[in-house]
Amino acid sequence: MTEADIDADATDRMLLQRMSAGDRAALAVLYRSYHGRLCRFLSRLTRRSDVIEEVINDCLWITWQKAGTFHGDSRVSTWIIGIAYRCGLKALRQHGDEPVDDDALSEDRFPAHCPDEDRELRDWLAKGLSRLSADQRVVIELVYGLGHTLDDVAVIMQCPVGTVKARLFHARVKLRNTLPALAGDPPIRKESMP
Amino acid sequence: MKLPTDIGKDCARAWDAMPWSLQNSATRDQDEWLNQHLAQCEACRSEFELQSRLRLAISLPQDVPVDVDAGLRRLLARIDAPDTRAARQRSRTSWVTRALVAAVLVQAIGIGVLGARLWSEASQADYRTLSQASAPLPTGAMHVVPDDTMKLADWDTLLHTFRLQVIGGPNEVGAYTVVASDGSTSSRDTLQKLRTTHGIRLAEPVANTP
Ligand SMILES: [Zn+2]
Repeated sequence: MTEADIDADATDRMLLQRMSAGDRAALAVLYRSYHGRLCRFLSRLTRRSDVIEEVINDCLWITWQKAGTFHGDSRVSTWIIGIAYRCGLKALRQHGDEPVDDDALSEDRFPAHCPDEDRELRDWLAKGLSRLSADQRVVIELVYGLGHTLDDVAVIMQCPVGTVKARLFHARVKLRNTLPALAGDPPIRKESMP
Repeated sequence: MKLPTDIGKDCARAWDAMPWSLQNSATRDQDEWLNQHLAQCEACRSEFELQSRLRLAISLPQDVPVDVDAGLRRLLARIDAPDTRAARQRSRTSWVTRALVAAVLVQAIGIGVLGARLWSEASQADYRTLSQASAPLPTGAMHVVPDDTMKLADWDTLLHTFRLQVIGGPNEVGAYTVVASDGSTSSRDTLQKLRTTHGIRLAEPVANTP
């Protein structure tokens, strides 16, 4: 844990404490602070913005209800991401077979300011992730995106560290085989372009 | 000079070390060791470049637009008016989930006065409360969870309309146990009506396990 992580965790704990006393302003601060992280994490499970919002709100609703029971066995972020993971799996079971409303599907919608370079990087990543199982995508996001340790990931996914290691290993092997080798290559152009 | 098996071991070690080095959670020694290995191993260098690009790509802000302000407003509204949410969930979640949600809501908002009143009525009844687990419940008993906003008079009217009496509760998930006050056991119809009644969060038959 870096010093910044320790500071962030101390802030989160203070917010939980205030939330357990019914302080909504503290909930709002926590909500905004986690929204970006949770969105990205959950976007590895579903591309439906309505489902992502539902899961975020389920997660923060539980966090609000249970704020007083957090005992600090882990970092607050590990605890919250774990709740989001379980809410996300539940949502996938509920919505997995629903017909997808076009408005809710945002596969090709990018912020207008999104530079081309980012777009290429996203396409490249999407290609790799599409070959992985949901749990493998989750492990990749937790380790490379959110920066969690193997032990954290085991807590979040409620499984042994060995299982996390295996998921990470297999995900990396698949990614290496799917994604083009990049040593010294210029950024990849879209395949449809000449 | 290193033997091929040592090189293989080193590459495996380098492979394991890469993610932690990339997320800055490796120790200085681990980082130094990895850098030394990368300097002399082409295969690991190319893998490390792939890993670095993966980390960069993963770190981009997510691209599915989700409005933070709208989401927060909805969450706060849900906390203020939990019954609407529970009603919405009724159609698609299991009894256990609904009961747990109800329990949280009941605990959070409290139906203390209503609960106390019903409890005293229940103890005057011929039947015993749920806490006495050994006593089997009569056939046709139902678990009913009223809205926390429901007024006592409305609850009384509702019980009267459906010819029900409270024989126990609230249990640990906030459910009251009710039976037909005339002793009849045909409750399927009543159950259906209860479920569509405004102010009833859920109504479920009690599974009788003798
Ligand atoms: Zn090597």
